[in-house]
Formats: sequence, structure tokens, C-alpha cells
Amino acid sequence: MLKCISAGWARIELAVAACLALGVTLLILLNVVTRSWGAALYWVDELAIYTMVWMTFLGASAAIHYGNAVAITILTDVLPPALKWGAAKLVDLIIFAFALFLLWFCWRWFAPLSLVRAGFDVSAFQAETFNFIYAEPTLTLRIPKYLVWLVMWLFALGATLHSLAHLLDFSSEREAPETP
Amino acid sequence: MTPFIFAFKLLIAVPVAIVLAMTSIWYIWESDNVVLYDSFAQKMFAGIENYGLLAIPLFMLTGELMNEGGMTKRLIDAARVFVGGFRGGLAYINLLANMFMAAIIGSAPAQIAVMSRAMVPTMEKEGYDRGFAAASTAAGGLLAPVIPPSMIFVIYGVLAQVPIGDMFLAGIVPGLILVVMFATVITLIGLKQDFPRGTWMRPTEAGMALLRCLPAALIPLAIIGGILFGIATPTESAAVASLIAFLVGWLVYRELDPKSLFSIFQRTAINASMIIFMIAAASVFGWVVIYEALPQKLAALITAITDNPFLFLLIVNLILLFVGMLIDGIAAVILITPILLPIAMNSYDISPFQFGVVICLNLVLGLLTPPVGIGLYIAASMGDTSAGRILRSLWPFLIAVAVVLVMLSYFPSLSLALI
Repeated sequence: MLKCISAGWARIELAVAACLALGVTLLILLNVVTRSWGAALYWVDELAIYTMVWMTFLGASAAIHYGNAVAITILTDVLPPALKWGAAKLVDLIIFAFALFLLWFCWRWFAPLSLVRAGFDVSAFQAETFNFIYAEPTLTLRIPKYLVWLVMWLFALGATLHSLAHLLDFSSEREAPETP
Repeated sequence: MTPFIFAFKLLIAVPVAIVLAMTSIWYIWESDNVVLYDSFAQKMFAGIENYGLLAIPLFMLTGELMNEGGMTKRLIDAARVFVGGFRGGLAYINLLANMFMAAIIGSAPAQIAVMSRAMVPTMEKEGYDRGFAAASTAAGGLLAPVIPPSMIFVIYGVLAQVPIGDMFLAGIVPGLILVVMFATVITLIGLKQDFPRGTWMRPTEAGMALLRCLPAALIPLAIIGGILFGIATPTESAAVASLIAFLVGWLVYRELDPKSLFSIFQRTAINASMIIFMIAAASVFGWVVIYEALPQKLAALITAITDNPFLFLLIVNLILLFVGMLIDGIAAVILITPILLPIAMNSYDISPFQFGVVICLNLVLGLLTPPVGIGLYIAASMGDTSAGRILRSLWPFLIAVAVVLVMLSYFPSLSLALI
């Protein structure tokens, strides 16, 4: 069950990341064209960067599901099967711990409870917590930056889901899901 | 305690990015700075909010598109025109085609995969030893990260905060030196091994081959020309190159099916995000490096041994050869640059460009050395031979790279001439 949700969510993440990769390409091309016309759009660079950052965190979360991150396997490759299985489980556990930490960091950073307690009044929230996350603007896009930062929640939640699914998968031979 | 945990996690195959992040989390906990946790996620995000990094997905995309678009074949045919007639012609064709490819593809593993599949069977059919065929192809792949564009230079440039365009220029002369050295190695091996004779193409054939290659040649032109003449940033020229690769593969060569675009973008997204995510994790790891004052401690140690920049670079080279044997090149650059670059610049007055070229070439060499030589294994599986057999023919090339590394360390002007 959890495995299916994890696989499905990874497919969505990857599909969105692919669209964002396309977005990066088109935005930079747009930049080249408009600049050669002498009418450069000032907000394109920033939007392209955020598109790439979103692509990165969605792709990195999907990569946890597909299990194809850069790692040093020189030692684990020669371990006997039982130890290898144990090492893989330990890795799953460490990734899961990382994901939980990240959730906690996002919680501390976005402080949703304090925001509710302040009645969604940002200035009251800031006066109480000295946390200025909701007041930070983007440089050229005219949207508040916390909207862009929301990807960290998506990443933390996705990473938690994928690593938990791996952690609870006790089959002796884990088949690595095929990357598209 | 922190270094021990760090090494343990690396060795049980925790992904490098997670090792960096978890070590930072551990370190913050241990040093009782928990207030840093509030900005942990923000710091990760900010670490990759960088215009230069946009080039990474774009260069990967160009590589994928040209791989699917039938350009490899045309570039090899064009190389045949220039060197095909010499004894051992195909070995030189391989090298020259690798040089062309290096001006399009920015990563050694990708180039080794593409070129092994294309060259090794052909060379064997004409009577070359399969091990030598795979070895010369794998060595040629080392040109990819030195001749622009180069993924590893983009990453180094972002970490070292130097302009990526200049970093690319710094790689051109060292890349050409590598080509000359490899050609020399092939000639020397040919004296001993008696390569098969090559044949020159007839003029009409040669003309056709060059003509067919012309559209593909637009890509390196767009990339290197754009950067060299300062018309476009590396990011912009990467985007233009990917557009050309798409149009040429689709409309001119008719081998690229627009339907495959979605899976191309998926591969681009996941491969790029793994690398960029490592950089995000490295930016929080920077906290550990700074608070532990690692560069200062190491600098005190090394400056006690020597105050000669050349000797310093030799020591660094020796250490990195060892590091490169164990850790993937790009991951190693992400780990090493923040620690060693401050020492090189502040204690020895070494240009960040020279330092970058030296450490990147050195760490990429690790792709071809056991036990963790990804490039070696790719060449082995694509060329259908064993890593051991490749190594038997590969060592002269590895020595050639070592000689180039010493030259680059001794003469800063080799890296700085074009900047």
C-alpha cells in the first residue's frame, strides 16, 4: 500500500520535474531572444532559478524512491548478502531520519502554529517570534518568497514518504524501481 | 566524533548528499547551536539559488538530445576525413571524435558511454585489440570535463565564486595539451603493436562527410563561440545549444522523435537534480567547515611542510588521486573545494582558475582508476570487455594525464593564457 503511494507520488514528482526542466530551457531561450531584441525581461532570470530549484527538490525526492543517488558502494558491494541487507536498512533509516529532521526544520521555520495563534496577522506573528519569513519579498517577481520556499515542505514530505516505504519494505531482494 | 560518523556513513553507501546534510545536523547538535536548525532548510534552498547552476540541466539536455539525434555518427565520419588514412587511423579518429564530442558533452561518464558504444565494435572489426579500443575511448572521455562545456567546471565555478565563462576558457589549452599527449601515446603504442592500416576517403566522400557534420558542428560553435566572444553567458549558450541539438536531430538528421522528448526531459531532470541537490547539501555542510575552521587547521599543517606553490599542488594532486579513487569526481569537487581552495588562494597565492583546472582533471581521473572507476565500468560494459583488460592498455594514458597534471601545476600560464 505504502509502496504504491510512494511509487505513484514519485512518478508525479518526476513528471513535474521534467516539465520544470522544460520550463528552465524555455525561460533561458526567452531571455536570449528578448535580450537580442534589446527588450530583456527583468524577471526571467529569477523565475528560471526558482524553476530549477523546484525541479531539483522534486527530482531529489523522486531519486530517493528510485534509489539512484550518488553513493560510495565500494564496501557494500563486497559484503555477504545478510550484512548487505543490514547496511541497506541502515541507509534507509538514516535517510528517513534526515527526512524527519527536515520536516521538523520546516516546522520551526514556517512556525504554522504561531501564525495561527497570531490570527494570521503577520506583523503580530513577527513581533512575537522575530521570524520574518512571511515578510520576505522576491526580488523581481512580486510574490512573497515563502510561496517559493514551500517546495521545502514538498521535499521533506516526499522524502519522508519514500524513505518510510523503503524502510518498511522487508522483502529480501529489493527490486530497484526502473528509472524512466 | 563528527569525522568518524562522516566516514562511516560514506562507507555504508548513504547517498553523498544525505551524508553531508546529516553530518551538519549532527555537528550542530553536538556543538549546541540548535538555533541554526531554524534556518537549515532556508540555507539549503539558498545554496542553489544561483544563475550559474542553470547551465547544469541545460548541458545535460544537450547531451541527451545529441545522443538521440544521430550526431555521434556524423562527428566520427568527419573525424575520419582528417586522420583516417594514417596507420592506426581509427585510433586517431577516436581521439579526434572525442575532442569534438567534448565540445558538446560536459561529463566524462556520458561521453564514455556514447563513444564506447560507437567506437569499440568498429575498432575491433578493423583488427584492433578490444582492450586497447576500450582504453583509448575511455581516455578520450577525460577530455569532456576539460574542454568546454564542462559540468564539473560549472560546479567548481559556483563553489569557488569565479565566472563560469572564464573557467571554461581556462580549460581550452589544457584540453588541447591532453589531446596532443594522447595522440603521442597512441603513436608510441602503434610502434610496438602494429595497428591496422587506414584508408583515406575519396574527395567526394570526404566532402559529403564534412557537409553532413556541419549542422552538428553548430553546437560546439554556439557554446565555445558564445563564451569566447562574450556574446552569451554559459547558461544562455547551453540553452541555445540544446535548441540547435533538438532542431538538427529532428529536422535535419530526422533521427530524433519529438515523442521521446518527455523521457529525455525526465532523465535530464533526475540527473541534474541529483547533482544540484548535492550542492544544496554542501552549502549547509559549509557551516561545519567554517565553524571547525578546517581550512585554517589544514593550512597550518601544510604550510609547515612547504611554502612553494608547486610543491603544494603536487601534494594536493597526490591526495586527490587517492580521493578520486574512492569518491565520484563531482561529489569530490563539492567536498574538496571549500576546504582546499582557501588554502591555495590565501597561503600560496594560486589562481582559482589554475587550481580548478588541476583539481577537476585530477578528480575526473578517478573515473578511470579502480576500485571506484565508474568510467572504467561503463567502458567495460559498453565495449563488452573486462575492466582488467582495459586497464592493461589504459595505463600509458593515465601516465600521460599525470604528466599533464604536473605541467598544469608548474605552469599557471597554461590555464590562464586565454582568460
